[in-house]
Amino acid sequence: MPETAPASPLALALRRFASRRGAQLGIALCAAFALVALYAPLLASDVAIVWWDDAGFRLPLLADLFNRRSYPKHHDLLFSVAGLLLPAIATGWWLLRRRWSASRRVLAAAGLVLCGWLLAMLPLLPDGRGGWQAVWSDRPSSACTAEAARASGAWTIFPLVPHRYDAAYAGAVLKPPGTVNPASGRGFLLGTDQVGFDVFARMAFGTRISLTIGLLATGIALAIGTVIGALSGYLGGWVDLVLQRLVEIMMCFPTFILVLVVVAMLGRDIFIITWVLGLTGWAGAARLVRGEFLAQSGRDYVLACRAAGLPAARIMFRHVLPNCMTPLLISATFGVAGSVGLESGLAFIGLGDANVPSWGMLLNQGRENIAFGWLIWVPGLAVFLLVMSLNMVGNGLREALDPKASP
Amino acid sequence: MWAYVVRRLLWMIPTFLGILVINFAVLRMQGPSLSRELTKATGGESGEMNAKLVSSGVEAYLVRFRTTGLDLPALVNLRGFIGKDEVAAWLRETERGPGVDDAARDRREKELWMAGRFLVAPLAAVLADDALAKLHGPASMALSLCAFYPLHRGELERMAADEARARGERNQALKGLRIAYANDRGDGFRTTDPEAQAKRTAAVEFAARHAAAFAAPGDRWRAILGETGFTLFLRQLATGELWSTERQQYVFSLIADRWQTSFGLNLLAILIAWMVSIPLGVRAARRVGSLEERASGSALFLLWSLPSFFVGTLLLHHLCTDHPGSTALFPNRGLSSPDSLWYSTPAYLADLAWHAALPLLVLCYGSFTALSRYMRASVLDQMSSDYVRTARAKGVSEDAVVWRHATRNSLITMITLGSELLAALFGGSIIVEYIFSIDGLGRLLLEAARSQDAPLVMGSTVISVGLLLVSILVADLLYAVADPRIRARYA
Repeated sequence: MPETAPASPLALALRRFASRRGAQLGIALCAAFALVALYAPLLASDVAIVWWDDAGFRLPLLADLFNRRSYPKHHDLLFSVAGLLLPAIATGWWLLRRRWSASRRVLAAAGLVLCGWLLAMLPLLPDGRGGWQAVWSDRPSSACTAEAARASGAWTIFPLVPHRYDAAYAGAVLKPPGTVNPASGRGFLLGTDQVGFDVFARMAFGTRISLTIGLLATGIALAIGTVIGALSGYLGGWVDLVLQRLVEIMMCFPTFILVLVVVAMLGRDIFIITWVLGLTGWAGAARLVRGEFLAQSGRDYVLACRAAGLPAARIMFRHVLPNCMTPLLISATFGVAGSVGLESGLAFIGLGDANVPSWGMLLNQGRENIAFGWLIWVPGLAVFLLVMSLNMVGNGLREALDPKASP
Repeated sequence: MWAYVVRRLLWMIPTFLGILVINFAVLRMQGPSLSRELTKATGGESGEMNAKLVSSGVEAYLVRFRTTGLDLPALVNLRGFIGKDEVAAWLRETERGPGVDDAARDRREKELWMAGRFLVAPLAAVLADDALAKLHGPASMALSLCAFYPLHRGELERMAADEARARGERNQALKGLRIAYANDRGDGFRTTDPEAQAKRTAAVEFAARHAAAFAAPGDRWRAILGETGFTLFLRQLATGELWSTERQQYVFSLIADRWQTSFGLNLLAILIAWMVSIPLGVRAARRVGSLEERASGSALFLLWSLPSFFVGTLLLHHLCTDHPGSTALFPNRGLSSPDSLWYSTPAYLADLAWHAALPLLVLCYGSFTALSRYMRASVLDQMSSDYVRTARAKGVSEDAVVWRHATRNSLITMITLGSELLAALFGGSIIVEYIFSIDGLGRLLLEAARSQDAPLVMGSTVISVGLLLVSILVADLLYAVADPRIRARYA
């Protein structure tokens, strides 16, 4: 009998989770969406990946990623940095697998990406005029486009679709999938929308929006919910009473109505949408954490901590909270799925950020141009698949972590 | 039983108040954008302050402020205690000059213009003071706007004809009181009006004549808590006076035309959801582990992940739209045909069912999964309890055990779930009404939110949430009826 390393209940449960077929499928789909989000420019961009002519060998897309004129949003930069660092992170993950715990490796990876993101925004490069500029700053648009390639005869590799997500192509309004774009000489893989945008390119970059809003909003909601639930469950008394009324109000308020009103009144910006989704979605997590805290706070180890004179905040967040991580993890997965759905729904009813490509907005165009089926099927299926895969992961986690459900 | 009802009702008060506060806070936050509109309307950034240009635009925006209470302080109103010196200082803050922050100056100026009735008297005092001649131009401008109280149609209906005429004339007279002035970066306020003296005396006289109308003696004390944005909102809500400037109609009469549609749709959707998922859940509980149970579980899981806006649009595309070679099977908008008023009753009902079928389907399919899962778990729980074993031991048939004993006890959980479901449905019905162009509360709310029609948003949100709370109360009561333990606790 082989010697098995001692493992925590959480590690055992994660192992159980990884052996389920539904969970595997969910994880694979989620990973696919994440890869699309990270490498969206490789799928759709009008700038060549490799450009080899008499002047030499160049990687124009790599430079274009840090051109603020091409990718003006912060989340685009974050995804670019994360995409570039992914090979390094994966290698480090594998090399350190025995020395560092999983949570430590996750933290290190996140820190690395954030550092890269910040570094790209700091003025580190000379701008040629005696001043300094950031890596991520306004530069002239890249000259290495499909038209230039045809004219110059350079040896090039282009992204899968050489179309920009934010370029309206002339004469390409509501064209079905496969129509050839005279400007680039290549086809619109998934057709075009009513403005003349390439649907495939917008779908690829829309993945970034969905994932960013879904993850950030859930993170905000979990943070608020955890603090409120912990205070309410641990302190009890009138704090609990007041906070529970607050939770009840948030539960009663139809979230979608609240989000709709706030977004419509404060502005249709992804930043605002993310915060609103986060600030309105914490009630479930608060209730969950409160329940766990109520169950834990009578345990002996909490009494021991109190007897040792630890401050309440330290007992709450260092000793009790780690014991509540499993239900939080499950609720986070479902929370991301819910936020993705809410964001798409908001964009669908015309309250999304008009400056970023969003799946819901495409679907809304499908509703307005009801005869054009690809505008409905493509974004609809994408939302469905992402929500479904997240739900599958959440379901798998729940079954693996719930001692009652496991065989 | 009554103790239980009263207890539930009392618990609802803080919830409802909290919802009002959230609603109010959200709508208060849109203030800056309106102030921007006002700046745009007055050409505030163009340098030269032009009284003629202002008079064309400001009142139209003031109407919006005055009717929604956005011109009042949110919670505490201390404007009654502003005297002549404070107003003079305030006026000086609105003067252009070297080194003056233009944005802050502009904001202070707009705040002064919106400050309302309590400032009429101190502004008149500034106008009467010869030593403050430099401030007479802006003071007369501010006075004419602080004294401006528009009448909307609802108020006009309630007022006596001559009183309404007097108010109208008062508002009209205000424009004639404005002393034209310039506000340059170089030399600040400069009166440019040849008739300045006549207008000045007229303004002082106006303020003296209407002193009681603008600030009666005890008013400023009452106004501290009584005349704030929040109390105005509550009063308008309670008396049904919320007025939509955008649509020139009372908010509640707009809602009255539409709430039945949404409420009826949601109620029907819940009933359908129960009728489908209860048998599904019971069936799944009886066949735990079978292929059928696992297949239906997976199918329901997929259904649960399907976003309703996708399904709705898909149905609209495939079933409600004429394509080459095929005609639509279902209508694509509304809940009844345009000429359905002339149908016989059965034909009318058939027409209604034909129109409502797809919206109802989209509304309720999402609840099947959660409801049937709870039902399955609950029935499974009951099946292992003692009374079921007793019933089996007595020789009761398996069908009777499941349907008469276990299911009936599980229905109690279904009732509480129903009220939670309703909250989700209320949000969902916005999407469904939007897709199928149904004139319901959800679509009204959406349109109001899109056009930033604050009173209509407040009204329809409060009504939706009110309906929701009432439904939750009904569910709680049903719960008490179904479960004798609760009745016993409050007996």
